[in-house]
Amino acid sequence: MMKFILLACLGMTLTANAGAEPSSQVAWTPQNLDFVKKGHADHGQELMGTCAGCHNETNANPNLEGQLPTYLYKQLQDYKSGSRKDPTTAMNGMASTLSDQDMADVAAWYGRQKPMRGKGGEEDLTGIVYRGDGKRMEPACSSCHGNSGQGEKVDTPRLAGQKAAYLENTLLAYKNGSRANDIYRRMRLIAAKLSAEEIKQLAEFYAKQD
Amino acid sequence: MNSNSLMSTISSWINRFETELQVDKLERKWLRVALGMVVLFVGSILLTAIVSGVHPPSHVETIDSASLHLGGEFAEDKLGVQAEALADGTLLVKLVAGRYGFYPREIEIPAGRKIKFRIASMDVLHGAHIPMTNMSTMIVPGYVAEVTTVFPKPGEYPMLCNEYCGMGHDHMWSKVTVTTPEDWRAPAEEIRHE
Repeated sequence: MMKFILLACLGMTLTANAGAEPSSQVAWTPQNLDFVKKGHADHGQELMGTCAGCHNETNANPNLEGQLPTYLYKQLQDYKSGSRKDPTTAMNGMASTLSDQDMADVAAWYGRQKPMRGKGGEEDLTGIVYRGDGKRMEPACSSCHGNSGQGEKVDTPRLAGQKAAYLENTLLAYKNGSRANDIYRRMRLIAAKLSAEEIKQLAEFYAKQD
Repeated sequence: MNSNSLMSTISSWINRFETELQVDKLERKWLRVALGMVVLFVGSILLTAIVSGVHPPSHVETIDSASLHLGGEFAEDKLGVQAEALADGTLLVKLVAGRYGFYPREIEIPAGRKIKFRIASMDVLHGAHIPMTNMSTMIVPGYVAEVTTVFPKPGEYPMLCNEYCGMGHDHMWSKVTVTTPEDWRAPAEEIRHE
């Protein structure tokens, strides 16, 4: 009985001190970076069959080929911990069955595939891709996602050639806060200042990039 | 080696320099001028360090830049102007610098009151600078930058990054609003976002 009371007290103090949850449990310490870098792509290939069942050309799920392994690893971790919530909860369920090693392995395999590519012929109607917008404190997309949308260290994802519908939905989710696994709200702050029209234009721009 | 033999070694070296090496008279004069300048500058640095207590930064407080968001004083819900002032009335402001912005992006502080900034970088080297004021510091990843200042004039100021940090460096700025002391309201105790 005494033990139970003690445990209950401990539990209460812990919840009182916990504060708000961080937007992601993943921290890119040198150990974590090294762990993801050393993912076994051959084991990843065995796992990817399940992914490819849904992540393919017949639907609106995002392309994973050529995506940064660090980005894929972080998203899988965030789905597992609940930091990122899939509206259909499918990804949360999937990720909860994977170990850390599985995540690094499947991320390594997808990271090594030929990257998704757009058809070309893109045109930036918003002016934000390369120049940003100083008046709104809006940095250029390319400053983090790379000059050709190829993604950058540590875990800024590749955008070039991604499905337009997915990009648009993602930006809208950041804008309304339903996607919230960006540390220090960096992407939420950026997306909140974009109009729905600009979001559509940016999504189409990056989908066409090759 | 005692001091006598050291002195004689040095004087023999000078002797060799004067006799064996072909040093032009004018060249020798300039060498003396240059040497004199070195003595003057090193001397003045030492003098100011000792007399007026000018020292290199000694506030070396380390922090793990990669996991700032996981907890501790730079956790996501602990940033910005702190509701509770320090014992001497100084306001504490906690910021995280990351590519490309200072988070939270907008803060409001009163004029004429001591403000202590504590800033940590989540990625690379940044600098924080508020033009037209004396607030300026380097933010080295792995360390906490601390600077205390007073803003005499109310107004809207940008906080700029002045250490090149990447492609978006020229977009890295956040807004600091300095209000009159009467207009300023302490932030509420509840959890602040951004």
